[in-house]
Amino acid sequence: MMENTTPRKALQMVVIAAVALMFLLPLYWLTISSLRPEEDIFRYLNPFGLWTVVPNRITFDNIVNLWSGAFSRAIVNSLVVSFVTVIVGLAVCAPAAFALAVISFPGRGIIFSAMIVSFLIPFDAIAVPLYSIMRGLNLQDTYVGLILPGVGNGLAVFLLRQFFQSIPKDLREAAMVDGMGWFQIFWRIYLPLSKPALISAGLIMFIFQWQAYLWPLLIAPSNDMKVAAVALAQFSTAYNVSFGLIFAGAMFLSLIPMLIFVCFQQYFTGSVAATGSKE
Amino acid sequence: MSPGSRPWSGVQRSMSNWAKIRVATVFLLPAVLSVILLRLWPALLAIHTSLLAPRAISYSLENYIYIFTDPVFLNSVRVTLVFALIVNPLQVAIALGLAILMNNKLPMTGLWRSAVLLPVAIPQSVSAVIWAAAYRPDGLFNSLLQAVGIGPQRFVTSPDQALASIILVVSWIGVGYWMTMLMAGLQDIPKSLYEAATIDGANAWQRFRYVTLPQLRRPLTFVLVADTVANFLVFAPVSILTKGGPQGSTDLIMNQIYTNAFVNGDPGSAAAATVVLILLVLAIVLVQFRLMSDRSER
Amino acid sequence: MLMKNSGLLAGVAAVFLMSTAGAVWAEQVTINFLTAEADGGFDAAIDQFEKDNPNIKVNFETVPFDSMVPTIEARIGAHDSSIDVFLVDTPRVSAMANSGYLLKINEEKDAVKGVANEAGLSVLMYGGDLYALPLWTSTQMMYYNKNLFDKAGVPYPSSEEMKRMTYEETIELAKKVMAGSGAKYGFSLEQIDRYYQLQPIFEGNGGGSGLKDDGNLTPDVSNAKWVEAGKFYASLFEKGLAPRGIASDQMPSTFTNGDTVFYVSGPWRLQPFTETEGLHFGVAPVPYWAGGKPQTPTGSWAVSLNPYAAHLEEAKKFAEYITLNAKGVGLVLQGIPNIPVNKDAYGPYVDWLASQNPQIAGDIKKVMTYELANTAVPRPSSIGYVAFETVMNKAFSDIRNGAEVEATLQQAQQQLESQMRRIK
Repeated sequence: MMENTTPRKALQMVVIAAVALMFLLPLYWLTISSLRPEEDIFRYLNPFGLWTVVPNRITFDNIVNLWSGAFSRAIVNSLVVSFVTVIVGLAVCAPAAFALAVISFPGRGIIFSAMIVSFLIPFDAIAVPLYSIMRGLNLQDTYVGLILPGVGNGLAVFLLRQFFQSIPKDLREAAMVDGMGWFQIFWRIYLPLSKPALISAGLIMFIFQWQAYLWPLLIAPSNDMKVAAVALAQFSTAYNVSFGLIFAGAMFLSLIPMLIFVCFQQYFTGSVAATGSKE
Repeated sequence: MSPGSRPWSGVQRSMSNWAKIRVATVFLLPAVLSVILLRLWPALLAIHTSLLAPRAISYSLENYIYIFTDPVFLNSVRVTLVFALIVNPLQVAIALGLAILMNNKLPMTGLWRSAVLLPVAIPQSVSAVIWAAAYRPDGLFNSLLQAVGIGPQRFVTSPDQALASIILVVSWIGVGYWMTMLMAGLQDIPKSLYEAATIDGANAWQRFRYVTLPQLRRPLTFVLVADTVANFLVFAPVSILTKGGPQGSTDLIMNQIYTNAFVNGDPGSAAAATVVLILLVLAIVLVQFRLMSDRSER
Repeated sequence: MLMKNSGLLAGVAAVFLMSTAGAVWAEQVTINFLTAEADGGFDAAIDQFEKDNPNIKVNFETVPFDSMVPTIEARIGAHDSSIDVFLVDTPRVSAMANSGYLLKINEEKDAVKGVANEAGLSVLMYGGDLYALPLWTSTQMMYYNKNLFDKAGVPYPSSEEMKRMTYEETIELAKKVMAGSGAKYGFSLEQIDRYYQLQPIFEGNGGGSGLKDDGNLTPDVSNAKWVEAGKFYASLFEKGLAPRGIASDQMPSTFTNGDTVFYVSGPWRLQPFTETEGLHFGVAPVPYWAGGKPQTPTGSWAVSLNPYAAHLEEAKKFAEYITLNAKGVGLVLQGIPNIPVNKDAYGPYVDWLASQNPQIAGDIKKVMTYELANTAVPRPSSIGYVAFETVMNKAFSDIRNGAEVEATLQQAQQQLESQMRRIK
């Protein structure tokens, strides 16, 4: 297998690109649909032909209308909510995962089980009771109200715990002998060794907020506090659905996280591998 | 390795339990508080609701009796289990395959990896509309099938194909996400293990079987459990593409919960169904933890 | 010095007094108005209302259409005082009033009788009490594609009420035009698997609305007449007259694409159809069953008050303005041209609507006016209506996809019986 590296690499390249394109096709369809006049969007589905894949009439109305309305404000809200959730969420979840992974304190099993149960609960099903709690705290129409439910993420704790467990015990025991405390071990050894896992945990929390719909709908009803997913859904009213606007909005909603993730790719390499051993 | 053989392995053991609890409390407090306040407490309120029959003021099991004698709910339990049985192994296998494929360092890998992740960022309601346009009888798929000489398929309008169609949609949304988590795991596998295996004459399959899989056990446990949970909570694609039909063939429990809670105004039976769903997922997740645990660890 | 100082003091005092007086005068109340309409739809009415009532500010809030019910269930269910006035879908008035989400407003009964007809009033009542003020209503007409008729060389159908076609005649004509023009579909409906548009096919066949007896809590959806209507409905798809697998929101594309001969929908499609390049269409009354009574769907949003509202008086004033005040109603129509219930506003409205499409203006006006006055039948008033609709829409969807009619309706009947027992 070593001898024919170049053709093998080329083949891999083709397969990877082909797979990636399959996932990109819907983005392409969103894009061409948002460039079509409303009545053309579902016109050329069948039979398959040139106009199915290329818009024969192009308009920028959808994109212009999208950004001139409440959507731009909503995108900003979504970005603020998602980013703050990721930062605060990592600050909350990573230490918890560290404690669950490395400190063998009594009651660890119970706390870990509580974390697991917390993400089994369908969030939409508890949105209403949670709403009555949060409304009592005067958090309606605030960023805090939007961000809070995303911060304590049992799924992210679980993910980080799995990765922290894989970091060799030798490393922390050596550090302890050197006189490092738990906090220093966490900060100077575990975090730097877990960049891909931290990015993945951040991704979990980002997507949770980016996709959030029912909760923002209840807790942030005012126009200034709307998030993008809600603003987008609003293009369908009782008597009309503006597919052009919805598709244009969805195109941007999918492109933004994708670009952010491309930027984070350079950190997406491990360093545990360099230590040579692994639990 | 045997812990007793190292001189410093006693460091942690020498700490008193109280000291450990104190340290752990500092690390855990914010997460535990937020999970209790924002998840477990409202879930307790849901249990409270599930025990109140319509117009009742005292606790009873009436809501549970109602859903367990309702053929529609029983069907949704069956559909949910069939769905989970197919979709979870399928997604984990595809995600693993993609992770290994995308882990190759090739030009623009960052872009390709992000592309696979893209569907999870599209609002699920919009994804469902895109797929609806593809699944329509006069939609994209049938026009493509026609172009290559295959007869039209019924997709979401057929009780035999609808569930498979939904599985395709949720997999398209989810696999890139789970792939990313597994790729994070692949980063942590020491290169030296592969080199050693290659020197020992292991072929690609053997390297996968004896190096990758065991080394990936913990991330894989995470993905299996998290993916299972996510699939039990699937809702938007079903509610938009099929509303649980045709003939109940895609009627997942989540669809029942949402319909009862937010359309029919029956919070009692919705809460009871939620409790049943949580118990069901919990049971399955426990089995998964057992299966995936390293025997030497226990 | 002293003089000067005291003058200054007096000045300060005067300013102080004026500012307090000013504060009292301009003490503003903000009321929140929750709708499922697009941003800006109520701007004209709100602007004028705020001008007339300088101490009231109206904050327009909107949620996506599909989320209106969850929002009300969650927020008003939690006694949220930050919604003052909101729109409610008329078939939900009974259930919402029964849940305590709507304020009883019997003192407005006489005023409502002044602007709405009997049917318009009945959909706002529950248990003999008034719970909502009338905003809009709706009707249906049968759009037909003139290009396809021309291509097939078949004369257009008539919009005269006396020449309303039966379902059999409509299907026969549709088949003729399909054969002559190559159209994909002959006769379809926009909300193709929803009770709202299917009620005339089922109830119009003489089998009842599906709910009967006291409080409309007894289901009756598997009688012989319903099965007969169900078989007709199923045949539309078996014979390829109407498409399977296309959701309601994508149905309009089948007409704008020029695929469909007859397409039943509301007047809200007039504008998008008129704006579609190359589409020439006419309107006719919806069909009826031979020997039966013609029947059209009706009902839309009304305006209700939150019993827990923070500013009830001001909210009520605004609700009256957009429903009972002819000027207010007119301003609402500028933003959202749905059919007003208000009798005084209807005339100018329908003239305006018809003038948007001059070639068929006469037909539009004639069909709409006749149907609203003579054939409109509201959905059954029942606290179980919403559950009924959910079950029936699923059953319709199954029949559309080829499920056996009789078995499907019987199953729906059983399911409804057990659900209604829970509601009673």
